[in-house]
Amino acid sequence: MAIAMNSEALTLQRIKSGKLVEGLEHMSPTYLEGIKRILTVSADTELISAPAYFRAAQDAPSLNAFGSAISIVQDELAHAHIAYRLLEDLGVDKDWLIYQRPAGEWKYPYAFDMPLDSWHELVVANAFYDQAGYELLSDVYHSTTFGPWKRALAKVDKEETFHLRHGQQWIRRLAPDPAERAKLQRAADWMFMLTVEWFGLPDSEKRHTEQLDYGFKGRTNDQLRQAWMAKVVPFCEEVGLRVPAHREGDTYVIDVPFPATFDASEKYWRFEEGQIGWDQVLKRWKARGPMNAEFVASLQRGWNAAT
Amino acid sequence: MTDHPVVARLWAALQEVEDPEIPVSLVDMGLILSVDYLAEVKTAKLRITYTAMGCPAMEMIQDDIRQRLLREAGVEQVDITVVWDPVWTSTRLSPLARRRMAAIGLGV
Repeated sequence: MAIAMNSEALTLQRIKSGKLVEGLEHMSPTYLEGIKRILTVSADTELISAPAYFRAAQDAPSLNAFGSAISIVQDELAHAHIAYRLLEDLGVDKDWLIYQRPAGEWKYPYAFDMPLDSWHELVVANAFYDQAGYELLSDVYHSTTFGPWKRALAKVDKEETFHLRHGQQWIRRLAPDPAERAKLQRAADWMFMLTVEWFGLPDSEKRHTEQLDYGFKGRTNDQLRQAWMAKVVPFCEEVGLRVPAHREGDTYVIDVPFPATFDASEKYWRFEEGQIGWDQVLKRWKARGPMNAEFVASLQRGWNAAT
Repeated sequence: MTDHPVVARLWAALQEVEDPEIPVSLVDMGLILSVDYLAEVKTAKLRITYTAMGCPAMEMIQDDIRQRLLREAGVEQVDITVVWDPVWTSTRLSPLARRRMAAIGLGV
């Protein structure tokens, strides 16, 4: 690497003085590894959402609805491009990351390993998953110490709002009909807890503290999970969807064992088996889920054909 | 009637309605072609367009317009007609819209 990196002390001093980190010359090796990790998760999540949403968009009830869903897919591809481009500037091989990396090494949330099989599941994903994306990215936008990412997220933030509003608008439209609401409920039944889980290990078990120490983000996993529930639970109550969480004072309490065993083939949470350890969740995440290989292959197909 | 005193209030209200994907009002985006007010039926009557025929936010934009204008005193109905002539081009963007879009990295 041609550019001399910063020492640990100088990096922390820069952050504490309120200056943004603009490039490799302002980073210590630990900062670089941390920002690469969080950027990779963000880039992979945006990119894998494209084939996941595209699959369900094909069940759109009208041409206009299909157009809206495809526009969301296009946004997600652009958001992914921003994050991969930043990784490239940090010396990462972008082509390898996108086109050559084995599917099992991708770093997106397990929820996107599940197939979205209908328009109902797509709009619930927009309302749940994109709200999660919004909470995570708006936190980065407001708090990150990495200047290039902060500036790029101004546009992303607004577009994610469109995606989650798209989901909410469709749910409001469908939910008054009991038959449609039943389909939305079936989607919410497996997707709600999968999104609760998305925010990761509880603060008490978190291993990578540099995300907060270095100011890559501002709020902890549990704070972000709470912020998500504070938006999603009242919305579900408004439209008549049951979700297993309720408000007690200033916090939301989960009404089912958490974490729990998830049966991916049935899209079913085995709450009857009680609470499990996070080590078992990490094992499921690491093994990846049903659509991982197919979605990654769909993204890599053109490259493989051309090379 | 385009010169009814309520019309100025409706334009001001529409300044508060943002494009769903860009932090710029529908007015500054150049999407609102005309605003009338029919006092006898308490109706706001709009002609609007979109930046493209494949605009993904058509229904959302109409919902947002209705929601905002129905909060105005004297408005009980909102009639929206979508027109494609004149064709929207970037020349319809206001200087404010251009500045805001440039600030978030959107070239026009």
